[in-house]
Amino acid sequence: ENSPAPLPERAIYGFALFLGSWFGFILYLIWAYIPETWLFSLGLTYWPQKYWAVALPVYLLVAIGIGYILLFGINMMSTAPLNSTHTITDNYAKKQQQKKFQEEAIPALSDIPISEVNRMFFLPEK
Amino acid sequence: AMEERRYRSASGAPIALQCRQHSACCRELAVRCPRLQLRSLSAATSAVWLVAYGLSALSENSMVLSAAMFIVLIGLIVYLHFVKVDQESLLVIGSLGIQVTSSYASGKESTTFIEMGQVKDVVINEAIHMQKVIYYLCILLQDPGDPQGVSEVVPLFQSSKPRLDCLIEVYKSCQEILEQRKTAPQSS
Repeated sequence: ENSPAPLPERAIYGFALFLGSWFGFILYLIWAYIPETWLFSLGLTYWPQKYWAVALPVYLLVAIGIGYILLFGINMMSTAPLNSTHTITDNYAKKQQQKKFQEEAIPALSDIPISEVNRMFFLPEK
Repeated sequence: AMEERRYRSASGAPIALQCRQHSACCRELAVRCPRLQLRSLSAATSAVWLVAYGLSALSENSMVLSAAMFIVLIGLIVYLHFVKVDQESLLVIGSLGIQVTSSYASGKESTTFIEMGQVKDVVINEAIHMQKVIYYLCILLQDPGDPQGVSEVVPLFQSSKPRLDCLIEVYKSCQEILEQRKTAPQSS
């Protein structure tokens, strides 16, 4: 029932959005470029200051630029420092229950403690 | 018996690992970082002084030059005393504890001792550090309430950051001593 295939309703929504966005863009151009006196003579006196026709796009672009740097910084801040136990374990691994070992069966998925992993990798068993 | 081997740090700088066996259950492992190069020191100093000279010529104020000289001097002293690590060593004494020493370029030495009862294990852990994934040796401290739990992680060799081959040597050495605790008779 929830397929992404094209439907007549979706075509109508798309066309309405297309017309709406073109209308909004032409309105924005009229507001930004047509001199105030001409707009007043037409009777449109209560439109916002033309200052905002430049200010809002600039605000948006600066916000996007800062967003890149902010995201980078947030990522660096949420990386666990080298001396935290979060690099070794977490709540799920602490609370896990040891399932009983069954012969001829695949062992259950579980977190292997770091000491055991180290011994397996770095100490060669003779 | 003492032996020294050359390795590389995580950033590519040459480091040296010295391994001394004092007795059957006592071993000292020291990683020596590359010394402060005269050419990088003079390059940094000349750069700062050129900038200060340019600024003082622009602003026609001679205080900028003396301020720059002062800053370079103080900065160099602070760097040598607090930042530049000459050697980091690990002294493992079975059944007593582990001592971690950092010797700075100015001669200052800072030591930390962790008694063996608190040490759960010494492992090589990998973690994300400044857009890189590095291997580092760390001491896991025992959680007093939980025999399986780790209360704290103490990273070692933070300034020299040896690569995995050096870390494996240190790890094997430490494990030889730590294994003796299991076979030795418990006394508490």
